[in-house]
Amino acid sequence: MEAVAAPERDAQLMLRVREGDHSSFGMLLERHRGPVVHFLYRMVQNQAVSEELAQEVFLRVYRSRETYEPTAKFTTWLFRIATHVALNSIRDCKKEKGHESLDEEMLDGTERQVADRQPTVEQEMVHEVKLREVRQAIEALPAKQRAAVLMHKYESLDYAQIAGVLGCSESAIKSLLFRAYETLRDRLAHMA
Amino acid sequence: MICLSKNEQGAELLAGYLSKALDAPRMTELGRHIQECADCRGLASVWERLDEFAVPEVSPGFDARLYARIASEEARASLSSWRHWLWRPVAPLAAAAAVVTLVLFLHVPGSPDSAKQASKAEIEQVAQAVDDLDLLTPLADTRDK
Repeated sequence: MEAVAAPERDAQLMLRVREGDHSSFGMLLERHRGPVVHFLYRMVQNQAVSEELAQEVFLRVYRSRETYEPTAKFTTWLFRIATHVALNSIRDCKKEKGHESLDEEMLDGTERQVADRQPTVEQEMVHEVKLREVRQAIEALPAKQRAAVLMHKYESLDYAQIAGVLGCSESAIKSLLFRAYETLRDRLAHMA
Repeated sequence: MICLSKNEQGAELLAGYLSKALDAPRMTELGRHIQECADCRGLASVWERLDEFAVPEVSPGFDARLYARIASEEARASLSSWRHWLWRPVAPLAAAAAVVTLVLFLHVPGSPDSAKQASKAEIEQVAQAVDDLDLLTPLADTRDK
């Protein structure tokens, strides 16, 4: 899990960025680069696109420095921007359906990580199949459910934060998340 | 009994259970329940399956690319503000000059005052010419005689 620590310090850093302190922006980037890129990667499932979108997210953060007000948690604000950017990209991709995915490229990368434990060819193939099924199951979720699951499962955002990001009530998020996990359970039941 | 499928906090309880963040009595109760309930076992297994979704490392050039984009945006912004700064004092002067030129163009050549002055000068010139003619006429007469 990729916990995001010290939220109050994030807001302070952002206020310092507003005052022209560039090193504070560097600290925010250092702290949130990974979670944002990984969230976007799991949303769009393409490394090049996810990094491009993450650049857009941090660029928007930088552009907003003069108007930034710490009314919400920094991570909520940051993930709201990231989710907005991701949902736009997914919507645009649906329009251009049929463009080539770079999934294969990533599967190769994941395979190499597993190779450290020297699995057999058969184990590698099983792992690859399972990974593909998980990715497909997540990809098949409606975009909002997908974003909620990714923030809940991998970024450790709580219900209130996810509600803040997606602009819903907490109770709506609870049922949305639970529906998403039930859908995933049904799709991945054969893997258990 | 805590059944994740029948609990509004199901997703949160599940996350808490699998990360061992719940208090001891709840951990025991939920653990026992998960063993007995196929639905909850399925949910717990989904949570574990999702752990397999690994992510790649962020490219090493990510920050450099971002800072280059920020620098390029700032350069564009500063150029545009410099243009604005330069244009700001010139704009009213240019407008004033344009107005003066327009006024001169409209009023000077065809104004009634200038026409009046022109015709007055013309009359004076004609009168002077007539006077000169009057002076010269007697001289011409005497020469003829």
